[in-house]
Amino acid sequence: MKITVISIPVRDQEKALHFYTEKLGFIKKKDMPLDGDNRWITLVSKDAQDGPELLLEPAPLHFEPCKVFQDSLMAAGIPWTQFDVDSVDAEYERLTKIGVEFSIKPSIFSTVKYAVFNDTCGNYIQIVENL
Amino acid sequence: MSFYEEKISQLKKSHYSNDKQIESVIGIKNYIDNNYDTDLNLDFLSYTRFISKYHLLRLFKRYYGLTPRQYLIDKRIEKSKTHLKEQMSVTETCFAVGFQSLGSFSSLFKSRTGQSPSQYQKEQFSRSTSHS
Repeated sequence: MKITVISIPVRDQEKALHFYTEKLGFIKKKDMPLDGDNRWITLVSKDAQDGPELLLEPAPLHFEPCKVFQDSLMAAGIPWTQFDVDSVDAEYERLTKIGVEFSIKPSIFSTVKYAVFNDTCGNYIQIVENL
Repeated sequence: MSFYEEKISQLKKSHYSNDKQIESVIGIKNYIDNNYDTDLNLDFLSYTRFISKYHLLRLFKRYYGLTPRQYLIDKRIEKSKTHLKEQMSVTETCFAVGFQSLGSFSSLFKSRTGQSPSQYQKEQFSRSTSHS
């Protein structure tokens, strides 16, 4: 068995695609039509294009419990997932400039530096740098 | 303060409040990052931080979740991938990232990536030429 896809629930796939590629810098790997307006969209990291793919899943639109869970995490400020970065400070600077809103500014916890931002698609995302 | 921030700050107080220890393991990790290509071993690491070998091992595992040896191997494999992508030979790569024997490098590389270093290099090369 091999881990190839991890998913993230999004409220609007097209909007998410723009945010995750244009602002975060991921690269679109797959984009296939499914039923209705739904698509199978996966992204990869620029420097690990054969690595795991991030699936932008429209689940909250079609499965109420997913929406409830996503909203509850949001209300509690809990990130859906986290991504590794070389420098949290540099990413904070870069993302703030292009309008990304942070709920937690760069902070230290044990051996990591982290920050949390809003992906505008229903999730908080944490970025982490190993100190 | 959100629920998440409250939880983080509780956890910090209950489990991660020893700043001196944290500073120490971060120092060890940085030392490995900067010297992965040399003949590193635990005795030397503990000597540079003035703590016993077993204490060092326990601390590192507690804060990074893996042993210094595992961390070092991961670092070397990661760096070797970069060298192989840049078309450095397998033998050169092996020594450039600090392995002492080609056999152990090849078998470790294969067990971590599913491919031998030369297979990996060939695949990366064909990938880069087909893209350009």
